[in-house]
Amino acid sequence: MSINTKIIGRSVPRIDGRDKVTGAAKYTGDIKFPNMLFGKILTSPHAHARIISIDTSAAEALPGVKAVITHKDVPDIKYGISPARWDENIFCIDKVRFVGDKVAAVACTDEETCYKALKLIKVEYEILPAVLDFRKAMDEGMPQIHDEYPKNINVEIHQEFGDIEKAFKEAHLVRTDAFLGNRAYQSPIEPHSATSLWDGDKLTVYSSTQSPHYFQYYIAREFGMDMGNVRVVKPYVGGGFGGKMEPTGLEFAGAVLAKLTGRPVRMFFDRHEMFAHNRGRHAQYMEITTGVTKDGKILGAHSNFMMDGGAYTSLGIATAYYAGALLPLTYEFDHYKFDLFRLYTNLPACGAQRGHGAPQPKYAFESHLDNVATELGMDPMDIRLLNARRPETVTPNDFAIHSCELTQCLTRARIISNWDEKKKEGGMPKGHGIGVSTGSFVSGAGYPIYRTDLPHSAVVIKVNEDGTSATLYTGAPDIGQGSDTVLCQMAAEAMGFHYEKMKIIAADTETCPMDLGAYASRLTLMTGAACKAAGEEIKKSLLEMASSMLHLPPDDLECEDAIIYSKSREGKALTFQEVARKHFVLKGPLIGKGSYTPPKLGGKFKGSPVGTSPAYSFGVQVGEVKIDEETGEIEAVGFWDVHDCGTVVNPRLLHGQVHGALSMGMGESVWEEVLFDDKGKIKNPDLANYRILTALDMPPVESEIVDSYEDIAPWGVKEIGEGSTNPTMGCFSNAIYDAMGVRVYSLPLSYEKVWRALKEKREREQGKKE
Amino acid sequence: MYLPDFDYHSPESIDEALSLLANLGSGAKVLAGGTDLLHKMKQGDLAPKALVSLKGLDKLKGINYVEGRGVVIGALSTQNDILYSEVLAKKYPSVSHAAKKMASNQIRHLGTVGGNIVNAVPSADLPPILIALGASITLVSTSGKREMALEEFFVEPASSVINEGEILTEIVIPDGDLTGSSYHKFGLRRSGALAVVGVAASARVAGGVIEEARIVCASSAPKVIRTPKAEAFLAGKSPAPEVLEELQAIVESEVRPRDSIRGSAEYRRNLAGVLAKRALVDAVESGHGLPAED
Ligand SMILES: Cc1cc2nc3c(=O)[nH]c(=O)nc-3n(C[C@H](O)[C@H](O)[C@H](O)COP(=O)(O)OP(=O)(O)OC[C@H]3O[C@@H](n4cnc5c(N)ncnc54)[C@H](O)[C@@H]3O)c2cc1C
Repeated sequence: MSINTKIIGRSVPRIDGRDKVTGAAKYTGDIKFPNMLFGKILTSPHAHARIISIDTSAAEALPGVKAVITHKDVPDIKYGISPARWDENIFCIDKVRFVGDKVAAVACTDEETCYKALKLIKVEYEILPAVLDFRKAMDEGMPQIHDEYPKNINVEIHQEFGDIEKAFKEAHLVRTDAFLGNRAYQSPIEPHSATSLWDGDKLTVYSSTQSPHYFQYYIAREFGMDMGNVRVVKPYVGGGFGGKMEPTGLEFAGAVLAKLTGRPVRMFFDRHEMFAHNRGRHAQYMEITTGVTKDGKILGAHSNFMMDGGAYTSLGIATAYYAGALLPLTYEFDHYKFDLFRLYTNLPACGAQRGHGAPQPKYAFESHLDNVATELGMDPMDIRLLNARRPETVTPNDFAIHSCELTQCLTRARIISNWDEKKKEGGMPKGHGIGVSTGSFVSGAGYPIYRTDLPHSAVVIKVNEDGTSATLYTGAPDIGQGSDTVLCQMAAEAMGFHYEKMKIIAADTETCPMDLGAYASRLTLMTGAACKAAGEEIKKSLLEMASSMLHLPPDDLECEDAIIYSKSREGKALTFQEVARKHFVLKGPLIGKGSYTPPKLGGKFKGSPVGTSPAYSFGVQVGEVKIDEETGEIEAVGFWDVHDCGTVVNPRLLHGQVHGALSMGMGESVWEEVLFDDKGKIKNPDLANYRILTALDMPPVESEIVDSYEDIAPWGVKEIGEGSTNPTMGCFSNAIYDAMGVRVYSLPLSYEKVWRALKEKREREQGKKE
Repeated sequence: MYLPDFDYHSPESIDEALSLLANLGSGAKVLAGGTDLLHKMKQGDLAPKALVSLKGLDKLKGINYVEGRGVVIGALSTQNDILYSEVLAKKYPSVSHAAKKMASNQIRHLGTVGGNIVNAVPSADLPPILIALGASITLVSTSGKREMALEEFFVEPASSVINEGEILTEIVIPDGDLTGSSYHKFGLRRSGALAVVGVAASARVAGGVIEEARIVCASSAPKVIRTPKAEAFLAGKSPAPEVLEELQAIVESEVRPRDSIRGSAEYRRNLAGVLAKRALVDAVESGHGLPAED
């Protein structure tokens, strides 16, 4: 469906582009205050240990040190981003639970002194045995990490929809495959930092955050303050990808240090500390069983998962539910069983990373589905087309799907990747292989992270008094994904104004209406809906004003391109500017307000809210790889991504999201893995040995959009930012299999693992011959 | 994360640098591009009392062909100087290719060949190809000057025969009758990746027959090594498939890799054998390679 829009659908330049490319953009770490101190956190060198004593006297005596704090100086209320499991303290009280757990903090006149002061804090530990392998965490005799959670079980999920046993009984083929995921870390380019300052009872925190609102909520809660006395401001942010969703400790410690010293305090992580704080991708062990008919129709599936949660919950409860809940999105089947244990380990806590719980299960399911197709002698594309979800359907776990153009995506991907030709004998050069995988993701979570009836997004638009510009005030944080730009496009569209004349003030809890934040790919749909309402309110006020100026009824008037004109009488027109000015003179400020609350969504079972969304994106990736048989080296030769993301607001930004998601997904597929030694210390907390991809590693990418419109969303929009990470790992796995006839059952699908799989295959074949 | 305190000296002549080093003794370190040294200091692995910077010493820069000596590479030449050198493009593009595979543009702009050698890690990318070409080096100190074959320089990881107070001034690739050379690096991404294994080969070929060959392996043993058995095996052969297969096996038996974060010993052993084949084929069939283009 095509819609008639002026600004939506145009690749307008980013509103922050100039600031960013010229270096004028100020990030949290660039902000300076007179008299500002610098703070750092002392962390545990042990994976699991009892704290016997902490002696801060030598650090306090060091010139330049202004304050040293430990658990004695801060509230002992447990916190965490998931209200279901508040299990973190600002500083550890009795025990440390991973290498990097927070123990104390210092504030000093300069950064260098901080590092010296940290070395002078003496902590006596009694080292305890640690749990480093999540698959053994529940075993008899394993150390207990949190007293409150027996057998180190952080959460367990057992859901069944339909009758899985019956489905398997009726199936022609029931197959089980097991896969192991990797720990990945978001690695945003900008390290976390927070600068805190007090003005009487009011605390202001500048923070590198994806959600000023949750920060404000949790900071206020921890210190027993009114939310109105906590102001959280997000300056420019250099990427989050899920890792900046929750207070890191920098905010809490900084606030206390700032209070004690009476001076602003800037706290920050270095790269190693970012890896230790983590909140990246959970490693999951995934067993998948599927029953299919002779023709390849899926009758039912069972996901049986374990998750390495690390030492704390973070967003992990949601991650755990997401892991299984999103699996039935892309394929239609009626019977579904989902079992999962999320386990505590003495490793850095895992959380939400782009695609949240979904990408690793998707890798498992998509690899497994190709195994099924191979057994049935089916083309991977055909088995997906056969099972592809259709619009206006409901998943077994009660997610209502409205728009869904998955079949169109598959069909287009098949064509533009030249799938059928390439799949023919000799259709590709030797060593090449091609794989396909699907994905889907929420366009915003149906429910907030903590229980509240507040709207999820709210905005105000204020037209400048002389009518020459308009400012959008929104709590929505642009963390690099481009929300400031698309929200201004949407606001301007609704007002009938010019994008070029929009200004934005965003992500400041004091000056902007609240917004839950940049996560679950929610801003375009949800904050977009609020922008639409606010813009339309402005337009309505303008048309009423113009109606009295032109002596024409308001419904004969329209505003487009900042011109208000009569639909019936040619030549009768006024400029936006003059009408807006008149409005201010006669009626006061010209303001539009909008807010968005999702409709009631989902089923009634335990965990049913996770995975609900007003709308779901769908997408398909086809990847062609070239494998070096002697070394296992994998070269991505080409990628084709076809997406159903509803109406496109800004094509260039959208394709940028696809490329970015693909590069992250590729990294996790083949190159990235956080590694630990046998004491729980990270072996590669740096970008030399934790290999995020470089521009040189990227293949040519063709990103295409199919025609789609989501009725429930403003202008028919849906998400793009996370959904395009979902198919990538499965795509690589399947392409490697196609190239070499070997399947690697664990992520990352590293060169060495591919080489080993090929070697074992050769040895098997030789063994058979002998 | 922070550099420890140290004194900084920027001598204006080699003699001044040498006498500074002689006077400062064991507490002083030579600073070239700093891409290895400053990193170690920030990590807290090294805390020299003084740094003597070579940056002002123009005599240590430049890559020239000198009649009767060969290609003379000043120790302060950066990786990018090597990559873009016209002299090397003409005589030994294989050396430029090795530089092109290093680090990233930013690091290549700073890191020097002298530092790459004296740092003495087994994964350094320039020593293998230079050794394959029979390069020699010159070390000077207040007590004189000595020359040696580059391959005799290395002892074990981070250790070489350089003495306190010595500066590496130049590397010379002598004129010779080698007909081809090549370096193959295996890294885990296209930029900013250290060698999991790197192998250089050089050969003197006449009438399709290898008269002499060198196979030099990085990241395959505690120091960069030649593989004498493989080299002896190759003499008199041509690179037929079965010869290459045997070459791979011999190289695999000669290298002594260890398990590391970038690859298991078993994998690296295999890589050394595979890269040796590929480097040799290039050296035999493509001379010293085509000039490195961007
Ligand atoms: C991000 C990154 C990526 C890298 N990638 C690669 C890579 O792909 N391949 C690779 O081989 N290396 C790589 N390196 C390592 C490094 O860049 C190179 O080894 C570089 O050539 C070192 O040169 P430098 O001038 O910076 O040495 P410096 O750090 O200045 O010195 C290194 C050592 O050599 C000594 N020294 C230097 N010059 C002399 C001299 N003339 N006489 C006596 N002693 C001397 C110093 O005292 C010091 O001990 C990388 C480094 C970084 C930071």
